[in-house]
Amino acid sequence: MTEIQSGGTAIDEMAPSTEGMNGSLLSVRDLQTHFFSREGVVKAVDGVSFDIKPGEILGIAGESGCGKSVTSQSILRILPKNGKIVGGEILFQNEDRLIDLATEDADGRVLRDIRGKDIAMIFQEPMSAFSPVHTVGDQIIETIRIHQEVSKEEAHDQAIEMLRRVGMPNPARNIDEYTFNLSGGMRQRAMVALSLSCRPKLLIADEPTTAVDVTIQAQMLELLRDIQADLGMAIIMITHDLGVIAELTDRVMIMYLGKEVEHGTVEDVFHRPQHPYTRGLLASIPKMEPGRVEIEPIEGVVPNPYAMPSGCKFHTRCPDFIEGVCERHEPPLTAVARGHEVSCFLYGGREALE
Amino acid sequence: MTETTRETDMNERTIISVRNLVKYFPIEAGFLRRQVGVVKAVDDVNFDLNEGETLALVGESGCGKTTTSHCIIQAQRPTAGQVLFRIGDAEPMDLTRMEKEELKEARRNIRMIYQDPYSSLNPRMTLLQIIGEPLVIHRMVENQDELQERVAELLRLVRLDPSTLNRYPHAFSGGQRQRIAIARALSLSPKVVIADEAVSALDVSVQAQILNLMKELQTQLGLTYLFVAHNLAVVKYEADRVAVMYAGKIVEIGETEELYTNPRHPYTEALISAAPNPDPDTKYRERIVLAGEVADPGNLPGGCAFHPRCRYAEDRCRQETPELIDISEKEGQSHLAACHFAEKLELTGIAGSIQREERENA
Repeated sequence: MTEIQSGGTAIDEMAPSTEGMNGSLLSVRDLQTHFFSREGVVKAVDGVSFDIKPGEILGIAGESGCGKSVTSQSILRILPKNGKIVGGEILFQNEDRLIDLATEDADGRVLRDIRGKDIAMIFQEPMSAFSPVHTVGDQIIETIRIHQEVSKEEAHDQAIEMLRRVGMPNPARNIDEYTFNLSGGMRQRAMVALSLSCRPKLLIADEPTTAVDVTIQAQMLELLRDIQADLGMAIIMITHDLGVIAELTDRVMIMYLGKEVEHGTVEDVFHRPQHPYTRGLLASIPKMEPGRVEIEPIEGVVPNPYAMPSGCKFHTRCPDFIEGVCERHEPPLTAVARGHEVSCFLYGGREALE
Repeated sequence: MTETTRETDMNERTIISVRNLVKYFPIEAGFLRRQVGVVKAVDDVNFDLNEGETLALVGESGCGKTTTSHCIIQAQRPTAGQVLFRIGDAEPMDLTRMEKEELKEARRNIRMIYQDPYSSLNPRMTLLQIIGEPLVIHRMVENQDELQERVAELLRLVRLDPSTLNRYPHAFSGGQRQRIAIARALSLSPKVVIADEAVSALDVSVQAQILNLMKELQTQLGLTYLFVAHNLAVVKYEADRVAVMYAGKIVEIGETEELYTNPRHPYTEALISAAPNPDPDTKYRERIVLAGEVADPGNLPGGCAFHPRCRYAEDRCRQETPELIDISEKEGQSHLAACHFAEKLELTGIAGSIQREERENA
């Protein structure tokens, strides 16, 4: 039981492999994060790999239960108590040091230094990022002073500057306000200011536009685009909304039940989707286009996480199911074009089975 | 709005006519709970719901779309106005003036589906009890066998396995639960179904299933839908007509295709522009990003409530509240907008199509 608690890691301490970072800022390799409960084990993330380069915007998309949020919680090591990284590497290039976030102590010095400074996160619900009993400014100043050796006055000026950058109407006044006095849209902006206050190299945005109205969502996307162009950090955008992915990101990874099913540039994935699940997802979204555009749902329901299907996780709902193959074997990732990979037997991998 | 001669006159295709509907909530403050103001949640709303159509009410949070639907079914009593409802050739009845007992008949014919199928279904009741409850209350079945048979039939109607009728909601996924909620709503063979954000909480693949199911049921059973939603793409797919609400008022209403391709109110234009499109080609399109936030219905700006966020606003907009007037150019079409400059402004509708054609030609 003890090893399950504390969100610790099971794999042995080992030196991260330095080869093949290829200029990536973060390289997640074969990540496996499982949840342990009385009912059994949920393989929330089951062998996911991706890289992100400095200044790049990567989208991770999928429906509920696909493991997109658990992936981001694994990177920052903020998993719930019964969640545990059981395999894989999360390599982070911090200046000239290569750190494997998967094996570091979740409460240790290294991660505490990285969290909020080099890798920051914004959440769906801004109230959960802030303390209700401290002013916005106090919290931003605290974050700055934890990570940088600056005076209170200097931190105060930096905080005002950051609030100005995220478009707060009156930064000098807003800095002394409590979050419950701010409107929903302003809270979102304040949260972005807090997360960017130490100029992180990587910003993880977990469904930041899901709970807000469409006009506020548009403001938020514009803000992220502007601030990314301005500060040049990399962004991982986690969302179920493929519209948001298309509007913001350069590359996208589509997940289903803890597995990566397809990844590529947004143009490749949206215009030339290959995996039956990606095609199904895109076909089920109503389009903002003139004329009648029919939608086609994906049949069936997402399987119970305690009773995962064998073989390809999508085979139970797949219109292109190959009997004798898909339910028995897990499809490998196959490149269909440069930088466009799909895990589906329609595109290869069957030869290796014979 | 077409002025009618008698106050209960209704267009023959109309099943529900909402007239001058007003719902104010008092703002109370202090120890004595003295009223210090009002929240104008719904402020003079007029529309007709025609038999067999789907009319969508769209808008952002706080615009009054849900309150409007609650006032129709009298879950909340309106402050003023009429809700006329007619079954067949009978005299229209004004639901706002009816007592609880009298409302029973109307409520049998107007049913609701809610957003969250996790909270709208009682976890301690089986499907038989959940779906059968309205049948028992309205004495529509004689005995247990008939009840079972009717519930099984309803489950088949929403494409669920009828053998599951003794199971509890926890055994079902979100999409399946929403099917159960639909089965319950349809149990009394209603004329009108009000769907309040009925697909908003669902994943897209499942959302598509429910949207198509609702359309099939509409054709099969001749239902009329009032579809309350905030997602413009979903509304475009589902609705025949759309009413856009802002700060308690309808700012534009018209046929779906016409409203999306030729919006006449700046707010509609902004909503259409802000809706994210799952097409990377539209990534660099020029978007209208509205400044500020939705007007506070407890403290509305003077004149047109939208003017502080409107990029076309002029002096007149700050002083005069615009009326909802018919601006349709085509014969026999009705397209109303509440904007002083509705006829002058050149507004942009759905983009995307142009870029798509360009790509295909390239």
